[in-house]
Amino acid sequence: MCTNPHQQDLNPSHFEGSEEEKITASEVEHGFLPHIQGMKFFDPHMHMSSRTTDDYQALADAGVVALIEPSFWLGQPRTGLASFQDYFASLVGWERFRSSQFGIKHYCTIGLNSREANNEALAEQVMEILPLFLQKEGVVGVGEIGFDDQTAAEEKYYRAQLELAKEMGLPVQVHTPHRDKKKGTERSMAIALEHGLAPNMVIIDHNNEETCKSVLDQGFYAAFTIYPFTKMGNERMVEIVKQYGPTRIMVNSAADWGISDPLALPKTAALMKIKGIDDETIRQVTYQNALHAFAQSGQIQESDFIHGLEIDQSLKFNGNTVLRGGQAPRVNKNSLIIR
Amino acid sequence: MKGQAQDSELIWTEQKSSLDLKGLSLAFVMCPRFISKKIVAHASSVLPGWTFQNWTLDRLVRVFFLSLMAEKSSDEQAYTHQMNLLFDTAEMNEAVALYSAMPVFSHGDKWLLRATDAVRSNIGIVFDAIAFGNPYPATYFPELAWNQLVLKCIFNDKPIHQIFGLMERNNPSLVQTLSDFAHERWAAGRRVPSQVWRLYSPYLNENLVQDIDYLLSHEDPNDVLAGTLVLQESNFSGAKALQEKYGIQANKDLSWATLENPEPIY
Repeated sequence: MCTNPHQQDLNPSHFEGSEEEKITASEVEHGFLPHIQGMKFFDPHMHMSSRTTDDYQALADAGVVALIEPSFWLGQPRTGLASFQDYFASLVGWERFRSSQFGIKHYCTIGLNSREANNEALAEQVMEILPLFLQKEGVVGVGEIGFDDQTAAEEKYYRAQLELAKEMGLPVQVHTPHRDKKKGTERSMAIALEHGLAPNMVIIDHNNEETCKSVLDQGFYAAFTIYPFTKMGNERMVEIVKQYGPTRIMVNSAADWGISDPLALPKTAALMKIKGIDDETIRQVTYQNALHAFAQSGQIQESDFIHGLEIDQSLKFNGNTVLRGGQAPRVNKNSLIIR
Repeated sequence: MKGQAQDSELIWTEQKSSLDLKGLSLAFVMCPRFISKKIVAHASSVLPGWTFQNWTLDRLVRVFFLSLMAEKSSDEQAYTHQMNLLFDTAEMNEAVALYSAMPVFSHGDKWLLRATDAVRSNIGIVFDAIAFGNPYPATYFPELAWNQLVLKCIFNDKPIHQIFGLMERNNPSLVQTLSDFAHERWAAGRRVPSQVWRLYSPYLNENLVQDIDYLLSHEDPNDVLAGTLVLQESNFSGAKALQEKYGIQANKDLSWATLENPEPIY
């Protein structure tokens, strides 16, 4: 079909939607930041090792004060124990420091992810070193663990790690599968209960409209991942919060090496605000509930980050509270000149 | 620790103190669960150059546990194994405590590679733990490693006067590299923290004195003070001519301490 580009106005889109959506569309055109002024966010699921310093800068600007980095796979399988060990060490070391440079408190959860649980020989070795890392400062849970293909090996190591979490009194961050999600989620919860974990110590992640009710009804925390195409969209998230209220619901970005959005949490908060959800509900699902759930580890002090990341006295440089070393001075991204 | 820790903290530390290597390393890891991050106000050091300034209490207790591990190192293989495990799995604050404790490690010379790893670190507090108030580098670093430590401090605008043994380990090679580095900085329109010029004093020569000339020809009062001090301290014959050129009088009241402050270098 031949169209005249100058006559687009005469050919209105069929996808304009309701009056409410039109208003939303025009409001967000001006950017989302003005809608979340003064809000603080806690994103309980971000794979920052896969992200750039620009993302950290943007997160800080958008009001993210703390985050949790669950251990996961790297996009391809690891071939030896040393790779796991270095990865876990980086989550409590280098990544923690990188985050602190932008004033964001970085926590992590440690675990053997479901995909790599299928390499049983290696999985056995990883299980050996997990307790050492789970005892470390700022490790706020076992995660992300659970099912991917729902194989026997995945179940074996999911169960073993639930036992470890119970023994160490740590919350569990449960990944639910992309395929056969509903059954996989039910199975994950049933096994957790079978091992005697209190449902409030278990955060079931990557929920959707189909899994949410059962997760909440059984007393688990329900996390929702705002992730383009494959997981939740934030308009759907708004509807879920409208329907279920804020109790035991938390939003995250699960930003990683895929096409994902590290600002999913602040953007969703802005959309909730525009769509008339009250500030207290927004605060609960984008900050407080995640804090409550993971603070059960005894490893989170809200006072460490709520008024901005307090730099340790020991980091003082001749009495100045300036973090030194490897710290890039803030750069203006719009400046053509680089000094 | 006494007088600065809670009773419960003292009891916990006491209980763990009698454990074996493995038990002590576990206590090392678990420290922050039982010991606060209160800043230690007064702690007398047991070694020259080893300072506990601005240490948190959990760091002090961790270093204490590491010193107990060193005392129980008669089985060198077991000790080395346990220490390597701690290094390889160290969380950020654990790494700081490990490097802080290096002066009391058993078989000190065997930990050189670990110590230079800390110098390679880009984690500010880890680097600082080996660089400042720590006599390990002055005791064990060969010249190349020592020079790298000092240059990295200068490069990152860190306070070199807090490096133990700074003037004692100073050497002509370091000073020459500093000169090259300063020239690069100047070419880029940047500067070098003024206090670093103190390294020039013992090795001033015909080439290096030109850098001092450059400092004195500029307006920056800190650079002028640094240049003045170098000329005053140096035995180099050409120093006097430069003093006359700029009309500089000797003044015993001038001190490098005035320059021991962070300076913006960008």
